[in-house]
Amino acid sequence: MKIDIKKFGTTLTSRQLGKEAFAAFRPSLEGVGENEIVEVDFEGVNTFSPSWGAEFLTPLVNMFQGRVLLKNTENPSVKISLELLESIIGKKFSSAR
Amino acid sequence: MDIREAAVLIGVSVDTLRRWDKKGKLLAIRAGGKGTHRFYRKSDLELFLMDPFSLARSWALSPNPYTPENEFYCPDSSIFLGRLSKLETILQKTKDLETDFSLITSVVGEIGNNSFDHNLGNWLDINGIFFAYDINKRMVVLADRGLGILQTLKRVRAGLNDDKTALKVAFTEVITGRAPEDRGNGLKYVRKVIEKSSMSLFFGTGDAQLEQKSHSYELHIKKSGNNFHGCLALIRF
Repeated sequence: MKIDIKKFGTTLTSRQLGKEAFAAFRPSLEGVGENEIVEVDFEGVNTFSPSWGAEFLTPLVNMFQGRVLLKNTENPSVKISLELLESIIGKKFSSAR
Repeated sequence: MDIREAAVLIGVSVDTLRRWDKKGKLLAIRAGGKGTHRFYRKSDLELFLMDPFSLARSWALSPNPYTPENEFYCPDSSIFLGRLSKLETILQKTKDLETDFSLITSVVGEIGNNSFDHNLGNWLDINGIFFAYDINKRMVVLADRGLGILQTLKRVRAGLNDDKTALKVAFTEVITGRAPEDRGNGLKYVRKVIEKSSMSLFFGTGDAQLEQKSHSYELHIKKSGNNFHGCLALIRF
């Protein structure tokens, strides 16, 4: 499955909106196969923050463990937010190069 | 207004305004975006003459609560997010900020959203935040008249009893004031970004203040000589 983060918006800073985004998208995750990779693409995101990320990515990583693959994470706010989230949840995100 | 009227209002010569426009110190607007004649918005000139930080500070520290001017006031988070999005667009188009705009926007977002997240339903007098920026002066200010860092963190760290320690905890430890939620990372993110960028930060709460210089991870925390119950932040970029 591929998740295009920009479909949730391009300025993603609010914890509340991150929470709503995950809740709204949750039913779409039901169809993900047992060994299927969940690709999260940040292409087109202008601004990202750890608050939004914590509400969306943390439950996603907890649901699919090592099967979440992050893509196009070069945006500086995406990069630093992910670094911080990794140190908080104590897990490294997998990135597609 | 045209450049001659603007020069009179600011108290400088027309040539100085042209020079400031070229340097980016006080940007003019061009008719239709492409014209050769420089024009100025009255609100831009008023902001240039005022210091947004002084306005925010006066509002946050005032013993008599009052509602800020509409253009600086975000009574709820949806208004803040709309204005943040506008700031992002302006920064994106600003010379030298084509890359850093995302970091500035995210830092402003974290600080502003924190005010709403931690004070929702608990505002002491005026709901919402003061949010102003001056691209020419390269500054963003945010303030709230909420509970402040100490009272917020006391919900999860009952032993905290002074503003200086609370500020340090907020910027250095992963902890949240929204217990029992297991998170709280906004101000740690702000610190990490400032370490890696040309932004600098002033943050005041209670009787304490924090300063972090650009490209430095070091935090300078001390007593401010003031005492107020909210938060006040100045970001320079």
